[in-house]
Amino acid sequence: MIDTSYALGALAAMAAVTFGLRALPFLAARFLQSSPLVQRLGRFLPLAIMTLLLLHTLVGSARQNPSGPWAELIAVVLVVALQWWRRHALLSILAGTVLYVLLRNRVG
Amino acid sequence: MTSAPTEKPPSSPPAISVLTLSVPVAMGYVPLGMVFGFLFVQAGAPWWLALVASVWVYAGAAQFMMVPMLAAGLPVASIALATLVVNLRHIFYGLSLLNKLPSQSGARWYLVFALTDETYSVLTTLPPGTRAGQMVTVALLNQGWWVLGTLLGAVIGAQAQMGLVGLDFALAALFAVLAVEQWRSAASSAPLWVAVASYGMALVVMPQQALLVAITLSVLAGLFWPQAAPQEVAP
Repeated sequence: MIDTSYALGALAAMAAVTFGLRALPFLAARFLQSSPLVQRLGRFLPLAIMTLLLLHTLVGSARQNPSGPWAELIAVVLVVALQWWRRHALLSILAGTVLYVLLRNRVG
Repeated sequence: MTSAPTEKPPSSPPAISVLTLSVPVAMGYVPLGMVFGFLFVQAGAPWWLALVASVWVYAGAAQFMMVPMLAAGLPVASIALATLVVNLRHIFYGLSLLNKLPSQSGARWYLVFALTDETYSVLTTLPPGTRAGQMVTVALLNQGWWVLGTLLGAVIGAQAQMGLVGLDFALAALFAVLAVEQWRSAASSAPLWVAVASYGMALVVMPQQALLVAITLSVLAGLFWPQAAPQEVAP
């Protein structure tokens, strides 16, 4: 059971951080638009961070999977291929998740 | 939360209704919101807490990510830091909307709050001169789909006895989709390979703090990486 006041505190912190990030460009527009460093990071970081989050989540799942990282690898290849081919986010996510659940519950 | 923000041309027909724009978002938000609500309740949260998360935080990937963190009772500071990392990209989204959002403060700040990947991509699709009311309507509809999905998932999750392992792979799949879309719209693949190398190094050096170390390495690389012709970030 998740403690309610602890969860509410965490949600409040998450809400504040998320809103702060979304609002920052509107509060510090002049600085952000004129800073070449920010522009550089703006081109570089989104793809890098998404890749890191993906790797980190995959490594986390694979560590909890006693039968090795194969289920994670197969499912993520399916998601990437589907998304590259059809560009239908929901289809890619559902297909990958269903395949992974099947692999873990039948094979693993 | 998904989609390619930069690909759609801004030349959609002016008569396009906001409901039409919101339908594809609904197709993604209702089922994904259901998965979130379901996982959160199964992890031990009351159903209404899932609703609070979707009304209050409203950030898909971060909400998925917090489920195991809350279940494990991690410190609030760690959860806030993880949220910062997952949502960092929103800074760069906002930069390109600076001149497009309405100036009335109520409408403006709700839109800033509701600036998820999908709402961002819908807002960039709207033709210039779209009324503030229409922008707010489409953003409210989108959040409504997310909250509705969460409620459905939470109610189902509260009744179901699940023995299935691996449903939380939805988060990895979501990150994979977002990475593919960023990759497609990026000028170069260098950030992807830098990230892979950074994560590999971080796993060897500090496996307990791999994500943080890898992000630091990637930021440093991003500052010094030689870059080709600059892309427009703001209009």
